[in-house]
Amino acid sequence: MKRTVDLGVLYSSSGTYAAISRAVLRGTLAGIEEVNADPAWEISFRPFVRDPKGKVDRYAPLCADILARSDARHVFGCVTSSSRKEVIPTLDRTNAMLWYNLPFEGFETSNRVIYNHACANQHLLPLLSWCFGNFGPKPYLLGSNYIWGWETCRVARMSVEEAGGQVLGERYLPLGDEDIDTLIAEIESLRPRFILNSLVGASSYAFLRAYADLGRRDPHFTAESCPVVSCNLTEAELPLLGDAADGLVSVGPHFCSSPSPEGRDSSFEIISRQSVHTLAAMLAAQGDQPFESFIAEKGARFGIDPATHHSTLGVDVAQVRNGVFEVLHHWSDVAPDPYLTRPARHPRIDRPRLSVVS
Amino acid sequence: MAGHMDIPNLDQACAVVVHPVPDHAAALIRQLKAIGLTVSHAWPDLPASAITADFIFYDTDMGHDAQFPWEPGRAPMPMIALVGTEAPGRIEWAARMGADALLLKPVGSSGAFSALLMACHSFDLRRSLDAEIKQLRHRLSARQTVVQAVALLSAQGKRQDAAYDQLRQMAMAWRINVEDAALRIVENANDEGSLRDSN
Repeated sequence: MKRTVDLGVLYSSSGTYAAISRAVLRGTLAGIEEVNADPAWEISFRPFVRDPKGKVDRYAPLCADILARSDARHVFGCVTSSSRKEVIPTLDRTNAMLWYNLPFEGFETSNRVIYNHACANQHLLPLLSWCFGNFGPKPYLLGSNYIWGWETCRVARMSVEEAGGQVLGERYLPLGDEDIDTLIAEIESLRPRFILNSLVGASSYAFLRAYADLGRRDPHFTAESCPVVSCNLTEAELPLLGDAADGLVSVGPHFCSSPSPEGRDSSFEIISRQSVHTLAAMLAAQGDQPFESFIAEKGARFGIDPATHHSTLGVDVAQVRNGVFEVLHHWSDVAPDPYLTRPARHPRIDRPRLSVVS
Repeated sequence: MAGHMDIPNLDQACAVVVHPVPDHAAALIRQLKAIGLTVSHAWPDLPASAITADFIFYDTDMGHDAQFPWEPGRAPMPMIALVGTEAPGRIEWAARMGADALLLKPVGSSGAFSALLMACHSFDLRRSLDAEIKQLRHRLSARQTVVQAVALLSAQGKRQDAAYDQLRQMAMAWRINVEDAALRIVENANDEGSLRDSN
């Protein structure tokens, strides 16, 4: 007889980043079904699902609602860092855990959160290293106007300066804003070597379509000479982009080697699914120990670094070619460095630096 | 100062947490380890080896001057005060010890990283200001020497402003500052004088 365990699920099915949200939701629910269907697991999960509809102020109350109305001690939820930061005080008060399954900018290691996807040394730094080596350190930086965009661009700016390059421009758009004409005009006149796109949702789709148009007018703005690169593009958003996705470069712990119908099996979805299995395995082994001290003692057995609550991940830089991500560079087992204070954990592409002798 | 804040390399950097109850500092120690530091604990007195530490976190509720092997405010590394009671006397003591940043107790799962960055920033600023003040003091104290050097040069028949100009050009040629050039001229003149006297 299986023991039933309540599990909170807090993702938005609407709003500007709904495609990403649906991917993590799909992965979470698939993981729950697999655990429930497998007699080898002594537990089965009963999901308590709440939908904040993409509104940042709905996350904390709905998280509190899940924890009050069920016996859930674990919540799978949040897409944006802003929403994650909203729920942490609720988790602190109730000693519950959030399982956060998306890449983020780092600089946070809450005791109440398990960060299963990549932090900046596992996405942004390797991506930049690849870009600098192939296109030169002269980017245009672009982001949505909140912590993910700000911090991604700030770290990129530091790396560019360190590499002796130059940031040609830096712009932020409000979440959901699709007014990108000025931005395209600016990029056209500045002619950067690559564009780091940290826009989220509708802004990103609008920008990528307009940039594909620009590429048809001016051959500099194509993937061969000025690619658009991003730390959070996955299969989940390819159906929304169509042909405009061709040539986009992304970075992540996993990409599908064959076409994925309806944007299935992105790293968002896969990591969410795996995380449900990890939680099941941990609950089976936890016994009477408080979860927090259980992680501190035995987290490493389940792939969770007890010091940071992050995971060691492989890192792939990949490019969309004919609707499928093709891996261009791979690093294995990159240990997490959420505060970017440990350069030994920053993957680089080693190549002799050429200097001009005058 | 530059507007941006570089993230220092903190891999294996050493922090000493000076706190009476190690268990109460557990959350802080966890944060510091997540950031990459190695952490040791001390109470009540800092061991002599603490002089090589990269950061000191010190409790202000129970702390006192004699715990530290250096004069108040003279710590050779960034110092972060762990503030519990906000009684002004305790804040005053934290400041007198040379707090480069504050962290409020009880420490939860955040705050240490911003305290570290802030403390590095303040410490570097303080150190560069100290060096600048020392240099300016040295130059101030050399005023009399400059006057002597100008007098010596104008004794060769130059007007005072022409003599000062010559002093500046000599300093440039020797690649030293005006004060040091003046000292060289004065010492030189004294040496010649003493030679003359001994002959």
